Amino acid sequence: MNTQMQRLKQYALMALMLASTIACKKDTEKIDTEKPTIDLSAATAFPKQCSQIKRGSSFTFHARLSDNVALGSYSIDVHHNFDHHSHSTEVEECTLEPVKKPVKPFVLVKSVNIPGQPQQYDAQLQIDVPADIDPGNYHFMIQVTDQSGWSIQRGISVRIVE
Amino acid sequence: MNRRTIFTLLFTYGILYPVFAQEKAAKNIGLREVHVEGKRYKHSAEGVLSVDVLTSDSIQKYQAGSLMQTLSRLPGVNAIGIGASQSKPQIRGLGFNRVATLENGIKHEGQQWGLDHGLEIDQYSIGTAEIIKGAGSFMYGSDAIGGVIRLLPPAELQANGLKGVVNLLTKSNNATYGGSLQLQGRKGNWVFGGGVTHLDYADYRVPTDTVYVYNYAVRLKDRQVRNTAGRETNFQLRGGYTSDQFSSIFYLSNYHTRIGFFANAHGLEPRGVNTVLYDQSDRDILYPSQQVNHFKLINRNYIAQGGHKIWVDLGYQRNYRQEFNNYTAHGYMPPVYPEDMNMPIHLERRYDKEIVNIALKDQFTLGTHRFTVGGNAEYQHNKIAGWSFLIPSYKQQTVGAFIHDQYPINDQTILYAALRYDYSHIHTSPYQDWFASTLENNQSVHIVRADELRRSFNSLVWSLGATRQIGSWETKLNVGKSFRVPIAQELAANGVNYHYFSYEKGNAALSPEQSYQVDFALARRSRNAYIAFTPFFNYFANYIYLNPTSGYDQYYGAGNQIFEYAESKVRRYGAELKMEYRPLAHWKVEVLGEYVRSEQLSGSKKGYTLPFSPAPSLLVDLSWFPKSSTYFKESYLSLDCKWTARQDHIVPPEEKTAGYQVFNFRAGTQLTWGKSALQLRLQVQNMFDTKYMDHTSFYRLISLPEQGRNIVLSIGIPFGKKNPS
Repeated sequence: MNTQMQRLKQYALMALMLASTIACKKDTEKIDTEKPTIDLSAATAFPKQCSQIKRGSSFTFHARLSDNVALGSYSIDVHHNFDHHSHSTEVEECTLEPVKKPVKPFVLVKSVNIPGQPQQYDAQLQIDVPADIDPGNYHFMIQVTDQSGWSIQRGISVRIVE
Repeated sequence: MNRRTIFTLLFTYGILYPVFAQEKAAKNIGLREVHVEGKRYKHSAEGVLSVDVLTSDSIQKYQAGSLMQTLSRLPGVNAIGIGASQSKPQIRGLGFNRVATLENGIKHEGQQWGLDHGLEIDQYSIGTAEIIKGAGSFMYGSDAIGGVIRLLPPAELQANGLKGVVNLLTKSNNATYGGSLQLQGRKGNWVFGGGVTHLDYADYRVPTDTVYVYNYAVRLKDRQVRNTAGRETNFQLRGGYTSDQFSSIFYLSNYHTRIGFFANAHGLEPRGVNTVLYDQSDRDILYPSQQVNHFKLINRNYIAQGGHKIWVDLGYQRNYRQEFNNYTAHGYMPPVYPEDMNMPIHLERRYDKEIVNIALKDQFTLGTHRFTVGGNAEYQHNKIAGWSFLIPSYKQQTVGAFIHDQYPINDQTILYAALRYDYSHIHTSPYQDWFASTLENNQSVHIVRADELRRSFNSLVWSLGATRQIGSWETKLNVGKSFRVPIAQELAANGVNYHYFSYEKGNAALSPEQSYQVDFALARRSRNAYIAFTPFFNYFANYIYLNPTSGYDQYYGAGNQIFEYAESKVRRYGAELKMEYRPLAHWKVEVLGEYVRSEQLSGSKKGYTLPFSPAPSLLVDLSWFPKSSTYFKESYLSLDCKWTARQDHIVPPEEKTAGYQVFNFRAGTQLTWGKSALQLRLQVQNMFDTKYMDHTSFYRLISLPEQGRNIVLSIGIPFGKKNPS
């Protein structure tokens, strides 16, 4: 009898632990687990993989950004790839010029807060390419965040020509 | 769904098993192998916590690429790994600076915060590894908030003699060749020992030809992860005097490794690779790579006098870590590395840390109370170099004192209580960029990334617990508060981690982490079965985490996403299950399960989990121990099957990870020849070359699968003799 009571107590204790642990497992609130997207497929989108840009001219960065909840901000970074150090995120390979030493490469860093936390945003930014910078292979890096801190990167290979 | 199934399964087993086991126990079955772990800690402060023990024999039996990968077979223990041979500990989902690793009584100090840094310890030198799940703060202070790993050398010989073992090993997956010599001896009260280990391995193989870095397909030559080869050379020496009343032993060790990182994507950054250069050899180490040297000198002393048992441990460590990479001008860095720079062109980062520790402990009894009073002090000096900046140099002092009382109220019940106070002070150095950045107004400025910072922290923590033997059941309950002081990284980071496109920003105003935890353990040992169920509940009133924000920083962050250190409240709970059952004399079934769930209750990541949350898993092992014969002794054959559920609980920038099932096979025997015996061991890890991703792996973010099939063969050749004294 006594041992039975004891065993009962053990099981009761285990059941209690089980119940208390499971009780904590409420259904999670809906949280955002989706990254934003960068769409460069539109005819007007620019630059695209292997695009050419003339130095001494201006062009407009143009991409369709979207998120399932609310967009945060975007950032553009243009840096040279004369040493082939970095790789694009794209499927298509572009022609690379031979490795060379930079003299005055084009550097651009630009961050933009997307106003109004929209789900869709048509990003447009005018970029001036000085006439005295080194022509050659460059990387055009686009980064986008949403309000939850999810981010997406696209590294586009472009070529600045004379 | 999958997770819930596993969880339910765990509990069902947990509840049904005892009934089953008690019936079986009635049968008279001999036990060949006895695992007694609980009794070992009955009279020590950690007796109230759940402790797992692995001996060097088990470490060799389950040996994986690194010490933590070996230990991660235990439920509740995981490895945060990078590649095939580097990893750091994680206990119940908490890792980095939330787990304290102690070797020979002294806290191992490296750069624990770093994602791509491994634990600098030679797994072949370890005699015993003890894993304390639950906060060990009251004994070890800050960093022990998630758990403690204690490593000890092999036990000293009891009689005069000299003996040793040479271990030779090879692994098929990354063509490892390695060897280790361990030696120990004794003459009267003088003991000595030592070891040397060397490992040389090639790039490891994964079960895929192509890895997708974003949309770009990276082809792998021969399925090898380009540039992950490495070498490791370690040595240990120890010696001293030991008797029942007094002992003083010195431990000297050095760990050295050089290992490459995957060349096509370090972190999240896709990199251009000259495949002609990188694919000419799978054993060379090109850029990016890391080189780490960890030197340690420890002196442990023990004195027993007049009812007092006193321990005094002294330690000096130097962790010298270098990260090499081709110079890449990110952001506003000059396009060509200036010739007048003092720093070598390939040195991306260097951390040079010196640590001095002292730990004191006095154990004595007053009436039926067994008291332990102790204290420890630590001084750290961390210097930085390299062309990339993440954290500033700093100096840190810590002192702490504790009192612990163990009070048996009857034969079955023991009460435990502890109180601890800590004071720490950190002083970080200023840092200014070596290159100029262009501000909005076209001004060129050398950005100041870190100002001088001085912070002091005080913490008072406590712990209360009880153990009670109820029939054949052993129960443990412990409630406690623990803490962790913010580290330099959290207070003063201010740099771009280009590999992650992240600009990491410290917060000088952070408060120490505060955690309240309830640990429970229920265990039963019988002649042929062992079961332990260890649930826990944990509430962090303050948890420090790196929060990916929605913003970019143009100047300090060179246009990268701002990740800033922030505070939140966190709730965590989970459980482990460990069962061993011997239905027949030569058979053993083992079931190991783990579950942990974390949720942030406040802050901007409210509702999200914590980074690197391990998925629930269940491991079932079937072992057969054939009868010993003239030539084959202590043989074993075992098959491990581990199911890991999918991990859908993620936090930016993580990805959801699919569930997987991995099989490991092990076999071993002692080949006896007269008086000598050879220890042969075989392992086939990931038997079916399963392609899977581990949620707690560094390379998960770039969807690089884990190591493929790996055949590990080792041979142990013992030598020497023991003379009865």
